[in-house]
Amino acid sequence: MIDRLEKLRSEGREQIESAASEKELEDVRVAFLGRKSELNLVARGLGKLPPDERRLVGKAVNRIKEELTTLLGEARERLGGKTGGPGLDLTLPGRVPWVGRKHPLTRTLERLEGIFKGLGFEVALGPHVEDDFHNFEALNFPKDHPARDAHDTFYVEGGGLLRTHTSPVQIRVMQTRKPPIRIIAPGRVFRNETPDASHGSEFFQLEGLYVDKDVRFGELKGVLIKFLRELYGDDVGVRLRPGFFPFTEPSAEVDVECRICRGKGCSVCKQTGWVELLGAGMVDPRVFRAVGYDPDEVSGYAFGLGVDRICMMMTGVDDIRLFLQNDLRFLRQL
Amino acid sequence: MKASLKWLRDYVEIEFCAFELAGRLTEILTETEAANLRTGDVRGVVAARVVTVEKHPDADKLTVCVMDWGDGSDTVVCGAPNVKAGMICALALPGSTIAGGRRISEATLRGRRSYGMLVSEAELGVGDGVGGIMDLGPHVEPGTDVIEFLGMDEEIIDVDVQANRPDCMGMLGIAREIAAATGGEFRRPSFDLAESDPTADSMIDVTIEDDLGCPRYIARAISGVTVGESPVWLKERLDSVGVRSINNIVDITNFVMLEYGHPVHAFDYDKLHDHAVCIRKARSGEKLVTLDGEERTLAGSHLVICDAAGPVALAGIMGGQASEVTEKTSNVLLECAWFDPSIVRKGAASLALRSDASQRFERGVDPLVMDEVAARACALMSDLAGGTVARGSVSVGRGSYEPVSIRLSVDKVRRMLEPAEASTGQTGPMLDAGIIKRHLEALGFRTEADRSDRDALLVTVPSWRPDVTEPADLIEEVVRLNGYDLVKPEVPFQSLVPMRNEAREAREQIREIMVRLGLFEVINSSFMAEGAGERAGVDASVEAVVLANPVNKETPLLRISLVPGILEVVRVNANAKQGALRIFEIGKTFRREGGAVDERWVLAGALWGPAERPSWGSSARSVDFYDAKGLIEALGEALEVDTLETSCYDGPILDEGASAGLSIGGRPLGCVGTVSHRSAKSWGIPDGVVVFELDVSTLSERHATGGSYEELPRYPASGRDVALVVDAGVAAGEILNEIRKRGGELLVDTSIFDVYAGKQLPAGKKSIGISMTYRSRERTLTDAEVDVSHELIVKHLIEKFSATLRE
Repeated sequence: MIDRLEKLRSEGREQIESAASEKELEDVRVAFLGRKSELNLVARGLGKLPPDERRLVGKAVNRIKEELTTLLGEARERLGGKTGGPGLDLTLPGRVPWVGRKHPLTRTLERLEGIFKGLGFEVALGPHVEDDFHNFEALNFPKDHPARDAHDTFYVEGGGLLRTHTSPVQIRVMQTRKPPIRIIAPGRVFRNETPDASHGSEFFQLEGLYVDKDVRFGELKGVLIKFLRELYGDDVGVRLRPGFFPFTEPSAEVDVECRICRGKGCSVCKQTGWVELLGAGMVDPRVFRAVGYDPDEVSGYAFGLGVDRICMMMTGVDDIRLFLQNDLRFLRQL
Repeated sequence: MKASLKWLRDYVEIEFCAFELAGRLTEILTETEAANLRTGDVRGVVAARVVTVEKHPDADKLTVCVMDWGDGSDTVVCGAPNVKAGMICALALPGSTIAGGRRISEATLRGRRSYGMLVSEAELGVGDGVGGIMDLGPHVEPGTDVIEFLGMDEEIIDVDVQANRPDCMGMLGIAREIAAATGGEFRRPSFDLAESDPTADSMIDVTIEDDLGCPRYIARAISGVTVGESPVWLKERLDSVGVRSINNIVDITNFVMLEYGHPVHAFDYDKLHDHAVCIRKARSGEKLVTLDGEERTLAGSHLVICDAAGPVALAGIMGGQASEVTEKTSNVLLECAWFDPSIVRKGAASLALRSDASQRFERGVDPLVMDEVAARACALMSDLAGGTVARGSVSVGRGSYEPVSIRLSVDKVRRMLEPAEASTGQTGPMLDAGIIKRHLEALGFRTEADRSDRDALLVTVPSWRPDVTEPADLIEEVVRLNGYDLVKPEVPFQSLVPMRNEAREAREQIREIMVRLGLFEVINSSFMAEGAGERAGVDASVEAVVLANPVNKETPLLRISLVPGILEVVRVNANAKQGALRIFEIGKTFRREGGAVDERWVLAGALWGPAERPSWGSSARSVDFYDAKGLIEALGEALEVDTLETSCYDGPILDEGASAGLSIGGRPLGCVGTVSHRSAKSWGIPDGVVVFELDVSTLSERHATGGSYEELPRYPASGRDVALVVDAGVAAGEILNEIRKRGGELLVDTSIFDVYAGKQLPAGKKSIGISMTYRSRERTLTDAEVDVSHELIVKHLIEKFSATLRE
């Protein structure tokens, strides 16, 4: 009996596969699954079989019915899927409502924030018009120090400046709260540079800060590796190397393995196999003193990254200026 | 900072190639790139003299040249127009390789043998090759290897020296890092200095009037120099790092600066009035022509070097033209000083004059190396320019240097760099006092055990490391030499419950809803043109925030409204023939409120084009006021805010007949409407654009935090419709309000299903069709009960609005 069923199954398969029209498919359906089909007859006669055999055969019948039904469905789709009623053109597009989309930078930010929120970070925000203390002094950029060279600054008439990084949010949070603190600060920053393909005068950063007792360098490394693996996959290579930021000591530049050449060296990574993605480090004791924390009591780490840059790396956008131009043809692509 | 491996090898063994060295320095110091000057794998190109040039008998544009490269001579066919007899050019012999990896072999061109090829700069990979084949100049010996001659075999690294590392602005500093990284031996330059009478202080008089600006000034005198060309080795050294050779004296000052990272300056001694120098602040309005030929007007904040007649140099930034060393110079005053970093930096910035010297002084040069630097320069001037060095130096200044000493707790280092298990003794230490000492000493720090504290090291910071003042700074030195790779990553979070940021969550929710309503999010610049706010309908009394130094002079303000940006997006996309546009932005606007800046979150957007997404069977209607208003109502519904109130809007940008001011619970929310024809023209956008701008905090504060449960209705509802004919001026909203007020408890829902004005009605009248739903919580209503309630309302409406029932 089982052999007979197996034969039915393979015959059914063959005929479904070779059916060239909806009509033929329907004939196959009637022949194999219809009321008078052999399969159905076997099913109806199940009751007459001894219990052991009944169970075995019953199972096989059901399995074959299911399989053939699935195959028939697939075959119908293949043959145009016109299974609807008369007068309905199933291929005619439906009445599609308007569909909107978030800006690619918003979506990148959401992705990054999502990872850090999962790691227990909360979002903190600060003003865009900042003062020298929060943007520079408290972050250990002394006045007239060459460390300020990298931060071409917009000044506001009547006092104040446009924040050149999201790091002043660190200061504002530490001034108003006591450790432990674990925040990320996403947002817009400003640099007084003539925009070109890789530099905007406005762009987005995401800053992170963790302050507690006995925070170790290895925790910073662990959190960043975790973040980068979430973003790029578990096999991504990550490298920390020395860097200089006035507000962290020790400082690190964090590189990821170039996604284009997989670390072999190409023009994007200047043959090094690595692409610089984050700046990070242990919070400098001078910063703790500036906000009234005792560096012998607390320690912490901070990190920052360019959102536009990450979005560019993920999408292949090669001109940062496109983000604020809002050409819909561009926005629809990403 | 560029450095050549050849040069660095004077101070340290380097067993790497430039590429490997750059990788190693990137790991322990800072980002470093290898820039081997050789491009591709060019080799086998020799200098050769063109002996004769003849026209190729069978080709107009070719010549046949007889070339002589010392070891041999043969004919070469050449296509370049600039070849001429006597010229020394670069000949790629058969078997050689030129740029792009191209191999050259013997060839026959139109019947004439060509033994190799004459090459251009481009073919060597060093220039653009526009001028034809490369002319090596008359002094090159035929047979010379062109690659060597051009210095293309030089291996160069480019170190991105950070703002806190003055020491790495010199070869010695970089060499010290290499020695520390590789365990190699670091060698200072060795030289002998011969001095003769008279003494320097009998020749030079130095006074310092500004002790803060110049804590120490050393002057030396060298007499009888012959100013001329530098020897080849010196030119090559400078050339390898991109510094142009000028003359031997100037080249020596540059060489010493590049070697030690400490600038020195050579004055023409005889051009200094009274052979006296004085270091003081400039007097406002004093003038000085600097070496670059510019006349500079000085301010009181500038530090200057003066002679008896006035300023001769901008201290630490640039020398003056009048006292410049020239071919006629025979006596030199050599300056080696320490100028205040912040004064140099401010001066250079205010004059927009950043120089190699200022970039070093502003980082803070080594205060203890000045005597050695000055002596090194003098020795070279004696050797290379035949000068006689006066005995001793004039060293003036009140500054003194106290070495920085730091107590470093080994436990603290380990607590920061090692995993938690390690510090509790569960695993062995990776770092101990011995390793820490070894790393620090390799960098020139001195360490000793602290007698009072067995856990601590007393560390003396070398004078060239002003960046190190704290234990944390020492920890960085240890971790970078030990290797960031050896730090073990951990993710051990103690629990810390994040606080919610409700205002931001509300913005995220608004964004989400707008996207679901079919709008594209845009992000515009924060900058805005003068007057754009008023043109976008912002009250003229609102004060914008003005940038003192805008990047674009057209947009000197921070945006006061999102509308100008939105309209610009409309303009750009309409110009790009986008037929439909539905966009929004959530962004900050800025306004000055007294001394402070008020930053407000705003939602703005625009609709333009067809109301329905174009498809077969879609309506051809264009968006209008009601589409935008409906959109905002939908947003309100999704956010569960109270009912929107409307009022007349009289701003200049929107069409009076198709716009409204909006509020919630009496609190202003914003406006919505069609951009007027006149405004559309002035913004360069098409007619029919509907815009809206709403205050986000009003929306989010009115936003309910979720409803409460009511039992679901058990009994069926009954509907009744009525069509009222009223004066065209009667507002539908008033009728609805009236119904809600008078409806009684059985009325549960009211909606407008039709609005009509036209031929079938008298002029000045309109008909409004209203649907009302009645239901009781206790029982099924009878028709009669419903009719009673309904007629009561209708009667009231007829009286209240002088309405009639439509037939």
